[in-house]
Amino acid sequence: MTARSPAPAPPARSATGPGLTRRRLLGTGLAGAGALLAAGALSGCASPASASGASALKVWDLFQGGDGLLMDEMIEAVAGGDRGFDVDRTILDWGPSYYTKLAMSAAGGRAPDVAVLHLSRLAGYAPGGLLAPFDLDLLAEFGVTQDDFTPAVWARTRYDGTVYAIPLDIHPFIVFYDKDAAGTAGLLDSSGELAPMGSPQALLDAGRALAAATGHAGIVFGHVNDPAQNWRLFAALYAQTGAAFTLPDGGPAGLDTDAAIRVVSFLRQLFDGRTNPDNLDYYAGLTMFSSGRGGMAMLGEWELPTLRKSGIPLGAAPFPQVFDRPAVYTDSHSFVLPHQDDPDPARRREAHRYVAEIIKQSLTWASAGHIPAYQPVLAKPEYAALTPQSSYADAGKAAVLDPPNWFTGAGSNFQSRMCQPLQSALLGHTTPEKAVRRMVREADALLRQPDPVA
Amino acid sequence: MTTTAPPGTGPRTGPDTPRADGSRRTRRQRSPGAPRSGLVFVLPFLLLFVLFLVWPVVQGLWMSFTDSSLALRDTAFVGFDNYAEAFGDPDVWSSLGNTLFFTAVTSVPLVLVALAMALLVHSGIAGQWAWRLAFFAPYLLPVTVVTLIWSWLYQPDLGFANQLLAALGMGPVGWLADESVAMWSIAALTVWWTAGFNFLLYLAALQSLPTTFDEAAALDGAGAWRRLWSITLPQLRRTTALVAMLQILASLKVFDQIYILTKGGPGGSTRPVLEYVYDVGFTGYRLGYASAVSYLFFALIVVVSLVQLRLFRRED
Repeated sequence: MTARSPAPAPPARSATGPGLTRRRLLGTGLAGAGALLAAGALSGCASPASASGASALKVWDLFQGGDGLLMDEMIEAVAGGDRGFDVDRTILDWGPSYYTKLAMSAAGGRAPDVAVLHLSRLAGYAPGGLLAPFDLDLLAEFGVTQDDFTPAVWARTRYDGTVYAIPLDIHPFIVFYDKDAAGTAGLLDSSGELAPMGSPQALLDAGRALAAATGHAGIVFGHVNDPAQNWRLFAALYAQTGAAFTLPDGGPAGLDTDAAIRVVSFLRQLFDGRTNPDNLDYYAGLTMFSSGRGGMAMLGEWELPTLRKSGIPLGAAPFPQVFDRPAVYTDSHSFVLPHQDDPDPARRREAHRYVAEIIKQSLTWASAGHIPAYQPVLAKPEYAALTPQSSYADAGKAAVLDPPNWFTGAGSNFQSRMCQPLQSALLGHTTPEKAVRRMVREADALLRQPDPVA
Repeated sequence: MTTTAPPGTGPRTGPDTPRADGSRRTRRQRSPGAPRSGLVFVLPFLLLFVLFLVWPVVQGLWMSFTDSSLALRDTAFVGFDNYAEAFGDPDVWSSLGNTLFFTAVTSVPLVLVALAMALLVHSGIAGQWAWRLAFFAPYLLPVTVVTLIWSWLYQPDLGFANQLLAALGMGPVGWLADESVAMWSIAALTVWWTAGFNFLLYLAALQSLPTTFDEAAALDGAGAWRRLWSITLPQLRRTTALVAMLQILASLKVFDQIYILTKGGPGGSTRPVLEYVYDVGFTGYRLGYASAVSYLFFALIVVVSLVQLRLFRRED
C-alpha cells in the first residue's frame, strides 16, 4: 500500500547490439515477447495501489469505483504504524465471474489470504471446503466477538456450527425518495422522515401522490434485463407476508405459491405503467429518479453516492413494510479465508488481525451508504450524524438473505432465473400465476442438478 | 506440401539422374532438407495449435464424460450421464433453438445487405471513400462500444428508437424487454455491426471480375438489371458461397453482444447455446455438463459444415 506509482522500469537493453545477426535478433525478439507475455499475466489483475512482496497479505475484493477508494482509505488507515500491514490488494470485476475466480483459486489451493464474499454465497463455498473457518479465539484477541454483530446476520456466517465469514457490512435494498416531493405528497412524519406504509394500499396511494407531486412518475424501479433487481424486490415483499422460501437439497422447492402470487399481483398493480413505470431498465430507473422525474426509487443503498451527486433533496428509508411483518432484502460483504493447501499459521494470524482491524474502520465504509455490520460503529455519534444513512440503519434487523443453497446468492444463476419470470409478469407478458409456477419450476430444476461443490 | 520424396533419397544417392530431367532434378535437390526445415517453420504455430486448440478439444471431450467441477479437484467418470441429462434439459433445446433462429435471421440479411452495399459502391457512385467508410466503420468497433450505442438506442424511455416511433405517432416497443422482439433487435444490431466485413469481401470480388462479359452484354443491348442478374451475380457465386459459409459459422458463434446486452433475457428468449454453456460451466461450476452441451453443439456445427461443403462441391 505504500507505493502508489509503479516502480520505474529498468532501461530496456538495446536489441541491436554489435555483432547482431538475424538469428540473434529473432531470438531476442522471441525472448522479449515471452517476457512481455509473462509480465502481463503476472501483473494483469493487480491494483495500481498494491505493494507486492512475498510477505504481503494478499487480499481480493470486488470493490470498484467509490467503494474501491474507500477500501483504499481503510487499508491505508490500518497499514500505518509499527504494527501495520503490508497489503497486496487485488480488485476484481464484480459479477458472476468474481465467484468463478474465487472458487477456482480456492479449489486450486493457492487462494489469497483474505477475500470478500457475499454472505449469500456462503452455502456454495463452505460445504465444499473452499473456505477455512475463522478462529474465534484469535479474533477475540484482536477485539472482535460474536456480540459485535446482529443475530440475523451472524446466523448466516456459520455452516455446520462453524464460523466461515466475518461481515463487513449489510447492504439492503431500500427506498430513496425526493424529500420535497414526499413532503408535498404528505408522506413525511413530524420528524421529516418517511412515514410507515403498513399496507399495500398505502404504497399504491403513495405512488399516486408522488406522481402528482413530481408531475411525472411516482415510484421508479429499474428491472428490465437486470439479473437481480426483480428478485430483490420480490424476496423482500415475499418475506413480509411471513412465508418462507426453502430450497432443501434434492428438492422440491418450498415456495408458498399463494403468498408469491399475492406479491407478484401487487407488484403488477404497483407498476401499472402510468403512475409508476413498468418498463425501465436499471440505468433508466436511476436516471429518472436522479433527474427529479420520479418521487421514490427502489434501489440498493449502494447507489447513495451516485444519487447524492444529483442534487435532489435526498431521503432514504428501509424498504417499507406493506404486508404483515417487516422484512428487508439484504446481503452482506463479508471477509473469508479461502482454502489454501499449505497455510502458514503466522499468515493466518495476520489475516485474522487484518479482518478485525478493517471492520473497526467501517465508519469510513458507512459514508458510501453501507450499514456497518460491526455494531460498535453504529453506536457512535459520528454514525448517527450521517444522513441519510442513519435513517435506514435498522434495516439490518429485519434482514432477509437468499435461501441458502450452493446455487443461490449474489451474482448467481438462481437470481437471474428468478428474475426472468418476474420480469415477464411485471411487463404484463404473463400472469402472476404462471410466473410463480415458472419460478417453482426453475428452482426445482436447479435443485435437481448435482451439487458441484460438495 | 509439394514434394513427395522421402528424406534421404535425394540426388546424392542418385548421381545417375538423367540430365534431360533438369527441372525435376532441381526440385529433387531441394527436397531432402525441405520436410525438416518446413517443420521448423511451422513448429511455433504447431505448438500453439496443439497447446491451445487440439489439447483443449481432447481435454474437453474427456471432461464431458466426467462430473468435473470448477470448485472441486476430484472428478469421477460418469459415462454418458451428462449427455443424457443434456438431451432431457429443456434449456439446452431452447438455447440451441435461439442460436439457430439468430443464425437464420442474421445470415440472410448479412449476405444480401453486404451485396447491395458492395454493388452500390461498385456502381461508381460519387463519394466512394465516404460510402466505404460508412459501410465498413461499424465493423471496426469493439463489441462493448456497439452494445453501448445500441443499448441507448433501444432505451425504453429515452431511446432514439422509441422517440422515433413516438414522433410517428406509434406506441413504444420493448426492444430488449419484449420476449418476441428482443432477438430481432439483437439481429438488427448485428447486421449493422458486421455487414461491413462481407461488404469488403464482395467489393474485392466485384473489383476483380473481368469486365469483358459485362461490356459484351452491354453492346448486345442488355440493360443494367439484366447484366446484374445474368452476368455479375453468377460470376459472384463462389464469393457468395464463401460469404454465406463464413457468415453461418460466425452467427452460430453468437455470444458476446447478447451476453452484454440482455444476459440471455428476457425470459431466456435471447440466450444462445454458448451462453448456456458459459452459465452452466463458469457461473454454475459444472464443467463436465457444460462440456457435454458444447460437444452436442460442436456436432451440430460439424453437420452444418459438411452440408455446406457438399453444396460447395456441387456448385463447382
